[in-house]
Amino acid sequence: MTAEILLQTLASGVLIGLIYALVAIGLTMIFGVMDIVNFAHGEFMMLGMYASFWMFALFALDPMLTLPLTVLMLFAFGVVLYKLVIRRITNAPMVSQIFTTFGLMILLRGVAQFFWRPDFRSIENSWVSGTVKLGAFQLGRPQLVAGAGAIVVTLAVYFFLHRTKWGAALEATAADKEAAQLMGIDSHKMFALAWGIGAACAGAAGGLLSTFFPIFPEVGANFILIAFVVVNLGGFGSVAGAFWAGILVGVIEVMGGLLLGPEYKMAVVLVVFLAVLMFRPQGLLGKS
Amino acid sequence: MNGKSSTLALGSAAALLVAIALPFVIGDASRLNLLILVLMAAQLGVAWNLIGGYAGQVSLGHAAFYGIGAYTSTLLLLKFGINPWLGMFAGGVIAALLSLAFGWSCFRLKGHYFAMATIAVAEIVQIVFTNWDYGGAAVGLTIPMTHDGWAWMVFPDKRPYYWIALGLLVLTLAATAIVERCHVGYYLRALKDEPDAARSIGIDITRYKQIALSLSAFFTALGGSFYAQKELYIDPGSVLSTALSIKMALVSILGGIGTLFGPVVGAVVLTTIEELTRAGFGGSGRGTDTIIYAALIIAIAVFYPGGLIGGYRAWAGRRSSRRTARGYEPQAAVHGEAHARDEALR
Amino acid sequence: MTFAFARLKVAAACVAVFLGASAHAQQEVKIGVIYPLTGAAASSGAEMKNALELAVDIINNGAKGITELPFSAGGGLPGLKGAKIKLVFADHQGNPQTGATEAERLISQEKVVALVGAYNSNVTVTASQVAERNKIPFLNPESSSASLTARGFKWFFRTTAHDDLFVRNFFEFMKEFEAKRGVKVGPIATINENTLWGTETTKLEAALAPAGGFNLVKQITYPAKSTQLTSEVQTLKAAAPKVIMQSSYLGDALLSMKTYKELGFMPDMILANDAGFSDTEFIKTLGKDADYVISREVWALDLANRNPLIKQVNDLFRSKYGADFTGNSARTFTGLMVMADAINRAGSTDPEAIRKALAATDIPGSKLIMPWKGVKFDESGQNVYGSGILVQIVDGKYHTVWPYNVASREIVWPMPAWDKR
Repeated sequence: MTAEILLQTLASGVLIGLIYALVAIGLTMIFGVMDIVNFAHGEFMMLGMYASFWMFALFALDPMLTLPLTVLMLFAFGVVLYKLVIRRITNAPMVSQIFTTFGLMILLRGVAQFFWRPDFRSIENSWVSGTVKLGAFQLGRPQLVAGAGAIVVTLAVYFFLHRTKWGAALEATAADKEAAQLMGIDSHKMFALAWGIGAACAGAAGGLLSTFFPIFPEVGANFILIAFVVVNLGGFGSVAGAFWAGILVGVIEVMGGLLLGPEYKMAVVLVVFLAVLMFRPQGLLGKS
Repeated sequence: MNGKSSTLALGSAAALLVAIALPFVIGDASRLNLLILVLMAAQLGVAWNLIGGYAGQVSLGHAAFYGIGAYTSTLLLLKFGINPWLGMFAGGVIAALLSLAFGWSCFRLKGHYFAMATIAVAEIVQIVFTNWDYGGAAVGLTIPMTHDGWAWMVFPDKRPYYWIALGLLVLTLAATAIVERCHVGYYLRALKDEPDAARSIGIDITRYKQIALSLSAFFTALGGSFYAQKELYIDPGSVLSTALSIKMALVSILGGIGTLFGPVVGAVVLTTIEELTRAGFGGSGRGTDTIIYAALIIAIAVFYPGGLIGGYRAWAGRRSSRRTARGYEPQAAVHGEAHARDEALR
Repeated sequence: MTFAFARLKVAAACVAVFLGASAHAQQEVKIGVIYPLTGAAASSGAEMKNALELAVDIINNGAKGITELPFSAGGGLPGLKGAKIKLVFADHQGNPQTGATEAERLISQEKVVALVGAYNSNVTVTASQVAERNKIPFLNPESSSASLTARGFKWFFRTTAHDDLFVRNFFEFMKEFEAKRGVKVGPIATINENTLWGTETTKLEAALAPAGGFNLVKQITYPAKSTQLTSEVQTLKAAAPKVIMQSSYLGDALLSMKTYKELGFMPDMILANDAGFSDTEFIKTLGKDADYVISREVWALDLANRNPLIKQVNDLFRSKYGADFTGNSARTFTGLMVMADAINRAGSTDPEAIRKALAATDIPGSKLIMPWKGVKFDESGQNVYGSGILVQIVDGKYHTVWPYNVASREIVWPMPAWDKR
């Protein structure tokens, strides 16, 4: 186990962690603003991947080019989903909410299989294919671009939340819905916005992933558990928390796999997660 | 016993008699199999309900107990020749003991955090079993058909399985009914309604939640052992998956969380929908059955947050309220039934 | 409803049932087929469904010009006076209990005379158990877990070779290769996914490598459906093997190949255990990066050079479904043909008669689209002639490279490094 291998693994861990972060940011926003755990979040990512794929397969447009379009489409989808379904359960007991988003998860997977068949798809030669040599290290270009993209989107969301009026309204609703309403902030608009941004972030992750990850209806299942762990670890509702927790989880996963055996890599993540839950349940950056 | 409870008791007894007699009437093995699946789902739902409904701690990792039950009895049988009835009991005890460890460390976590912790624990258990060679790892464990009969809990015919599943369900329901009516249930309801008031009187919250969780774990594990004896093959994916955990919760939520028969209703509806849609549409391979199944789950969740029983009671309540004034609310701790209805409507 | 009217209804119903019953007895043979039509293995399930439908179409309606293939004259099963085969599909969703439930349903309600399925070994375990209990023949064309034929079942028949044989093939091949070329292949590392299939393969490799005098330096098992395989590949790199033996389904196969490239890792030889590596998407996705991988297979198009029947049937498949056969779909097709052959010889739909006929099966290799010497079952229900081949991907196509007597080209060894392609 040379230093080179360790550092190389670390770098890969950070890169995949950034993707985890991007998926989790959407999830944590939805939770922070409306207190709903979205089981269907992995499916937003899956839809983003398919959107990217179809634009590539049908119109020969590179995923990097169509990324903004993918994000917009998923934003719209998130808002529509909110208006059609989620709006009705904002005040329902937690179990009903879980039940609903879980049903959505199965529904979206089923619909994806219905329309696009269960076959695996992939994008063979995008602009960002290939590897990049950085000194002694070799990293995949799609992963590097995806990592960079994740950082950009995170900054954008952070900026939006903390420097714009809409963002402030969102944060206010997250902090105290009734008080915000008294100030004239329409909760339903905020919820729709949160849901839209959440879906958009997952969609962005999907678009970035589509350049190197296989695309199939069940792909969301690979990521959803990790996304939950990241959200918890970072603190429900904290975008910055999700960002750093994502990177941390990515690193723990690859290092755990390297040191203890790949079959246990998820177990290592979960054990660390449980430990944090015991001693600091609000997560790294969550409010107590 | 007031009029309503005795009707309920009479009705339950009648239903039980009908249930016991059914296998004599239904000759078709696959229809009987469907009923067994319903009974199994109901039993798991009722077991889950003890902690998820009555104690208000939503667990999404109950498959851990199920799997521990299945693996304990199967390993004891295959490696040590221990009778599966004993093994089943042993599995239940081990699951209950493990639940103590879990409860002690996790009960102070609230709501979503607790749910996430349960998912994490169940996933870890699944990973451990997937990689544990002695326990069969991913290859799984097969129970041979060489010995059969009541002594070995292996039957070529479906009917004994049906009666055992029914027996397990009745046992779990009885345990729930006892909990509901004894001081444990009383305290749990108080904790759910007014946790601060309850604590201020000096009720040890954790202790009562722990009792509920241990019972829940025990009965869930029994269900796991039964599964192993019925299917004669277990692997980590079939008895330890998170999807299974969610299904156990779903059955209760769908039927009516925190009510005695809610999970039974939920199991009937959910299993029937699942099996009918798959039998009807599954063969096409388009996934139509999953779409229908999911749409129905969403519809029920959205329009009937109190589950089907909650929805029924709301409808019945609206009917009777035209006669009685709705202003009067009986004291929660005394009239468990009315309380459960209020819970369901929340 | 008056009494008279009621009696009329009952009478009409009886007539209908009688007519229906007698009509069915002559015209239809129902076979239940249980496959993963949704869930993780759904893409394989879809191509196997196509293979089944093609087989039944040929039997019922004929296939012009393919004279060597049994039943290509069409018109149903001659042994049952032209009774046509009707497939009843069921989706097991990759779940063993669902597989058993569907088997139960197909037997009791659909009244199928036989079952074919189920691809996933862990589902085959439970579904075939239901068949055994109900004394219905169960034919398994694709599951590779060796233990399936070690259960002492009387009603279970498997046409494909199993993992024990496939892994042995690898080591046999390496020995022959070393002898032929006068080289040593070097240290071996195995990387397998950790569900049932990968786990069994890992155990077999651990046992057979030292027995064959090979140096096994590392065994890695990884969780299927990972989001990344970095730690796995890094561990492999650190062990510095010259031969990798890998068992992965499609998603992981793609991910691992991309990770090998990303981390600049290229051993001399990759021996893949079929599944993901022989899926049509594998070459499509990786393009040139897939080249030089050697995979265990059960079927390859270039075998048509020795057996033209293979090309003829493949052309038919291609014209209907737009893709070539794969090892999976070819085996499924063959499985149904074997079942049809048995029912035909039995001359009846009585399960015991079908079972006897299956046990007596003896189909010569020339009538199959598989590279087997034939189909003949031993007492455990295993086809003794089931065998595997090895293919190597060169220039984006699969070429048979072993056994040497059916090889269509020389093996490229060692695999050129990534930057030298």
